[in-house]
Amino acid sequence: MKKLKVIAFAMLMLAASKIQAQEKWITRNGKINFFSKTTAENIDANNNEVFSMIDEQKNQLAFQVLNTGFKFEKALMQEHFNENYMESSKFPKASFQGTITDPSKVNFNKDGIYQVVVAGNLTMHGVTKNLSIPAIIHVADKKISGESKFDIKLADYNITIPSVVAKQISENVTISVNCMYEPYSR
Amino acid sequence: MRIIVTAFLFLIAKATVAQDSLANILDNEVNQQLKTKKQYTYATFKGTQLVNSRTIETLGKHDLDFRVSHRFGDIGGEFGGEKSFFGLENSTDVKISFDYGVTNRLTAGISRSKGATAVRQLYEASLKYKLLRQTDNGGMPVTVTAFSNAVVSSMASNVKPNTPDHFNSFNDRMSFTNQLLIGRKFSDGFSLMIMPTYIHTNYVTHNDQNDIFAVGIGGRLKLTRRMALIADYYKVFRSTASTNNFKEIGLNFYNPLGAGIEFETGGHVFDFTFTNSTAILENQFIPYTTTSWKQWRFRWGFNLSRVFSLKKHK
Repeated sequence: MKKLKVIAFAMLMLAASKIQAQEKWITRNGKINFFSKTTAENIDANNNEVFSMIDEQKNQLAFQVLNTGFKFEKALMQEHFNENYMESSKFPKASFQGTITDPSKVNFNKDGIYQVVVAGNLTMHGVTKNLSIPAIIHVADKKISGESKFDIKLADYNITIPSVVAKQISENVTISVNCMYEPYSR
Repeated sequence: MRIIVTAFLFLIAKATVAQDSLANILDNEVNQQLKTKKQYTYATFKGTQLVNSRTIETLGKHDLDFRVSHRFGDIGGEFGGEKSFFGLENSTDVKISFDYGVTNRLTAGISRSKGATAVRQLYEASLKYKLLRQTDNGGMPVTVTAFSNAVVSSMASNVKPNTPDHFNSFNDRMSFTNQLLIGRKFSDGFSLMIMPTYIHTNYVTHNDQNDIFAVGIGGRLKLTRRMALIADYYKVFRSTASTNNFKEIGLNFYNPLGAGIEFETGGHVFDFTFTNSTAILENQFIPYTTTSWKQWRFRWGFNLSRVFSLKKHK
């Protein structure tokens, strides 16, 4: 009987921890915009199939996105993006994993708009770089959304622009992220 | 008791899963998407033309492709050599074309070419439609595109009867190509195409045939990110009777073979080619190539393409 009590207790503990472990949020249709601006041409692409998760217990964030999911204004741009620059068949996805640097700045259980900095690793085109990215987390009505905007330097990720198109493609591109999360459950 | 243990084990299992790192969960999610969502193969060929052949590729919606193709004179043989600067001072055919992407799968085109047989001054209208699209994640192994054109000659009719350019009516001026282009991107750097072809010429001379079948094969091998080797070849099935008839008057037909190097620079594609065929339109180079590689009767040529996006779409 004593044994049984121990087991029951352990079970309760586990159940409790399980509830805690459920404090994860996910989106499968987050949005990432890629924008390159030059005097000759603007390149604007959207991906509306961004996978992202937030673990509010560990203050962690993760993103994954398929390069082929970026839709461009021009069909040729999309082809060049995948074939010549991202080499999507070799490196099909880009990912980011980061941690909120100052967890005290955000309360996932209280409505509000929280400005945070997320530090972590961005991996694309086979190169991983450490980045600190400013982000805004919105908590409203038990829902979480996040947005961020930052610049990356293409050369940092071994993406080279041939001189003939250097006028059309900016060395730095602006990445905008916008995600609305739902509670994650398996 | 057993029930409790089972429940306990079950919970442990669930809890372990829930402990998975965010990255692992997302990995699974993305891999699932890669498996289930159709990933259409892109860039099987660069642009809508190989050396002589069309490719399975169609233009993007609202894209306009401006092309100039040129074939010079024989490098060697009777007409080549130093006196024509290895053919560079002659041009056997020139073609200027505009193709437009009506949808991502339908391309419509018009062209004008000089023409390399007795039939000259050619206007062409063409349609290309992508019937099937290869997928990277299984399901569809090939891309299949149908191509058809109608060509009309605007030249003055030859007064001499039984000549290829003796036209009694407007219909006599017309010829047609119908092709099925079946292509597959085998790897990042290698794509291949098989092209069953049917050509109909409304008016032909006595020895000739109105209908000709041919099967083409074409390939592209990427050398660097922006440079590729390209080649295409057609096996032409002309009847023995017709072949012999032409032989009697001293005319031999050869299968057209072209090879070249393709350069791509963001919107421009430049092909530097060698072909034994003199004409640029299928209607002529498939049935009427009379120059052979073996006699040094092949030539330099180029295809130049510039794609303009006329309308942005999201």
